[in-house]
Amino acid sequence: MYSIAMSESRTGSSSGIPQSADAETLLMRIAQDRDREALAALFSLLGPRVKAMMLKLGASEAIAEDMVQETFLAVWRKAHLYSTDRGAASTWIFTIARNLRIDQFRRQSNKPYEDLETVTLESAEPNGSVLVEQRQVIGRVTDALKSLSAEQQEVVRLSFLYDLPHAQIAERIGIPLGTVKSRLRLAYERLRPMLEDLQ
Amino acid sequence: MTVTHHPDIATLMAFSAGTLDEPYAAVIATHLAMSEGGRETVRHINVIGGALLADEKPAALSDGALTRLMTKLGDDRIEYPRRDKGAADDIPLPLSKYLPNGLKSVKWRWTGPGVATADLAWGRDGRSRLMLLRVAAGRPVPEHGHGGQELTLILQGAYRDRFGVFAVGDIADHDEDVEHQPIAEPGDDCICLVAVDAKLTFQGRLMRALQPLFGI
Repeated sequence: MYSIAMSESRTGSSSGIPQSADAETLLMRIAQDRDREALAALFSLLGPRVKAMMLKLGASEAIAEDMVQETFLAVWRKAHLYSTDRGAASTWIFTIARNLRIDQFRRQSNKPYEDLETVTLESAEPNGSVLVEQRQVIGRVTDALKSLSAEQQEVVRLSFLYDLPHAQIAERIGIPLGTVKSRLRLAYERLRPMLEDLQ
Repeated sequence: MTVTHHPDIATLMAFSAGTLDEPYAAVIATHLAMSEGGRETVRHINVIGGALLADEKPAALSDGALTRLMTKLGDDRIEYPRRDKGAADDIPLPLSKYLPNGLKSVKWRWTGPGVATADLAWGRDGRSRLMLLRVAAGRPVPEHGHGGQELTLILQGAYRDRFGVFAVGDIADHDEDVEHQPIAEPGDDCICLVAVDAKLTFQGRLMRALQPLFGI
């Protein structure tokens, strides 16, 4: 399964994808060639954003920096498991940072997530996504997120970026838990055409 | 395996964001291991996190952060994942951490007529509990009377309530105000993996559920 993913990625990179500094190309160079320069470039590109995410949890500068280091060490060690089937680079890195967040901040095991990743890799469900499409999806979803109502954006951001459980979001905003959930459902319905596009 | 009953999309969003307490995350991960469609939905939801990360305003890294990273890079890779040796094969992988010897080795505790439970350790005495529930055919499943989030995943057998038949891989993820009375279907005992709010003692709710039926 791994070799299938790799050969597909190779096809992808040899079919004229420019060696630009976009995150997916960098990640593919790390995956295929263990390219340290590509990792350095990816770190410069997304490291400061991972740090911004960690700072939102109330982490100190030092801890946020440590989390960025851990995230990119994991990127380095897991890059050979990445293929464009797995989504855009920022999506993949978000899930790595999230798993570290669960482990470090919530002090809970992220083993269910790791095991699920194993199941996913074992079942190898290639969906034929290619690099350029993943990039476009991220762009469209970013735009769509901004088109959500302020109320919907608020619950989405508090959940995904501020790491707040739904019950805490309800307390913070002062709305019933059911309203938090229905806002999230509505947000998903609005984003759905973009999220399901080409994936 | 065809999964008919899926989690609430809001629950999957919490799973993707990483904000579920571990027992709930364990139930969802176990369900997703049994549902290809569910995994696809979560892949889509993950893109929300990816888009938000890509759109974050960069926070400057300290001087030397890059050097620090580069000096730590070794040649070690996280190898292609493989299952732990001896992992039980009658349960999905995400459950094996909590049930290393599989369903056959569970130490059941009798909790009522035709009903047995087993608590699964998850390393922290938190706000929520992860447990197994076994109900004999034709018996009511003591899980109504919600009051906190409750996730119920069918691992063996089936039950039926007004939402239909819940079979292996199906998950019940109802709002807390939903009233329903599941009954285990004929055949094998129905075994469910359940995450519940610890504030509601299961025993208490079980007794409440059985009271009108058995006069306990």
